Amino acid sequence: MDEKEIIVCRCEEVTLSELELTAATYNCSARELKLRTRAGMGFCGGRTCRTMIEAFGIDKREKNRNQVTLKYQAPVRPVPFGKLGGKTP
Amino acid sequence: MYKAVSGSPLLLEIGVETMYDIIVIGAGPAGLAAASTAAREGLHVLVIDEYMKPGGRLLGQLYQESNGNWWNGLEESVKLNEQAVNEGVKIILQTVVYDIERQDSSWIIYTENIVYTSKQLLLATGAAESPVPLPGWTLPGVMSVGAAQVMTNVHRVKPGDKGMIIGVNVLSAAIAMELQLAGIDVVAMALPPLNQLTHQHSRPKEVMEALLHASHLAPSKFLRIGSKFMTNPFMRQLGIRLYPKSGISMWGIPIQLRKAVTEIYGTNQVEGVIIRTIDINGSPVSGTEESIACDFVCIAGGLYPLAELAGVADCPFYYVDELGGYVPIHNEKMETPIEGLYVAGNITGIEGAKIAISQGVVAGYSMAIASGKQGLVENLQDSIKKVHETRKQAAIRFHPKVDIGRNIIHKQWEARQVPSTNDATII
Ligand SMILES: Cc1cc2nc3c(=O)[nH]c(=O)nc-3n(C[C@H](O)[C@H](O)[C@H](O)COP(=O)(O)OP(=O)(O)OC[C@H]3O[C@@H](n4cnc5c(N)ncnc54)[C@H](O)[C@@H]3O)c2cc1C
Ligand code: FES
Repeated sequence: MDEKEIIVCRCEEVTLSELELTAATYNCSARELKLRTRAGMGFCGGRTCRTMIEAFGIDKREKNRNQVTLKYQAPVRPVPFGKLGGKTP
Repeated sequence: MYKAVSGSPLLLEIGVETMYDIIVIGAGPAGLAAASTAAREGLHVLVIDEYMKPGGRLLGQLYQESNGNWWNGLEESVKLNEQAVNEGVKIILQTVVYDIERQDSSWIIYTENIVYTSKQLLLATGAAESPVPLPGWTLPGVMSVGAAQVMTNVHRVKPGDKGMIIGVNVLSAAIAMELQLAGIDVVAMALPPLNQLTHQHSRPKEVMEALLHASHLAPSKFLRIGSKFMTNPFMRQLGIRLYPKSGISMWGIPIQLRKAVTEIYGTNQVEGVIIRTIDINGSPVSGTEESIACDFVCIAGGLYPLAELAGVADCPFYYVDELGGYVPIHNEKMETPIEGLYVAGNITGIEGAKIAISQGVVAGYSMAIASGKQGLVENLQDSIKKVHETRKQAAIRFHPKVDIGRNIIHKQWEARQVPSTNDATII
């Protein structure tokens, strides 16, 4: 198997090489990396891949230890739309 | 917007329960211990957990301590649960908390069907496993080492007949032994391949160093003698160079610190792995590929504190390697800078279950005092001492320098304290 095809974000099918290329091209933060590639924005809400995407920001962490690289947002688990506001299905 | 304001039609529709004094999120050892402690002081306590059984990660634990006693997490969980129920704690399972919000000096806790409210809130949500990406890791039959532990020890289902473990650390070593006790063949443990996301798990030298601190776990002469012998860096280098090609056997399982799994293969599910010899920096040596047949693969990338709800509540964090990652800032009383918000257990740093229990007791007393209960200051202080004692005697150390990590986070707390004239929380 081609090493370039290692999937990092399963939900959005983003590969390691895609993340490496984007990080190198734009010299971006973990958050920007997420916005550019959609890694971490899938159905699981980044629960599976978040630490791996954060790891790309590791060099910048010294300056930024007191800020979570990828912000946590509710809902922290998938919730059916009906439960969030609409009538119960 | 899904977030409802109190009194809105949504809240009425999904139902709001009466106000609790204390809500605890997470029925692991920390959450259950905190709940019992506070309920014993006469407080109205609710525990919410998304899993189907109380006990959290304690449920899967089964290992022998250095004094020869067995630590059976399943039994310990039953005890902690019974104790909480006897003290009058209400426990709700299979219920996910997906959001929390502070409003008018109380907490609003959102679950799928009911919105709960409380005056104090304890986050005892534990830890999660870090993934390690490698080619083929999305095939069915690949799981985290913790998933294999839960299948085997909690559900009593074999994850497969013959497994390969990728990632050598304290947790995967303990779980390898548990799998073997359950009659599952663990073919070998080896390192993950070196890439930008796996570095510290893929360099034999670093893995060896981390393992040496856990050498009491290993009934292997090499590692045990090693831990005394290799206290200086030069000897460590030598140790890893001389590391036998066939690995070192621990409970009959070959541990390969000089080999990495570079690929997991299979058509519809795991059929085996490709393994290669690596140099001391983790780079593969060409021409050394072998394939090993197996029907499941466990990935062990270590643990990190699961603090998502603290993030949602805007609690400040600090990154501490020794504690496993981003940790909500807190003090020894388990208070966070957010009023009415407490943390205990692995959310504050990765350590064993006994430490989680002792931190839970501290949080229980802190919340009872904040709820207006008198005469508990001494209990609180004693319980903080107990945390330190428990840490000293811990059987499993996930990070050798956890004490340093604890100091870093407490310094962060102190740095945030602006002197105030009417600070009521100072004892
Ligand atoms: C896979 C794994 C294996 C481990 N093995 C060992 C071991 O062998 N020995 C050892 O000493 N330590 C082990 N640990 C460390 C373990 O975390 C501690 O021993 C101890 O269980 C921590 O207790 P806790 O109460 O902080 O958290 P946990 O025991 O993890 O309990 C947290 C609870 O919170 C619940 N929860 C989390 N988020 C939510 C939410 N949003 N809504 C509702 N409920 C939620 C979870 O379902 C869980 O039951 C292991 C950890 C993991 C992750
Ligand atoms: S794995 Fe990346 S969002 Fe789910």
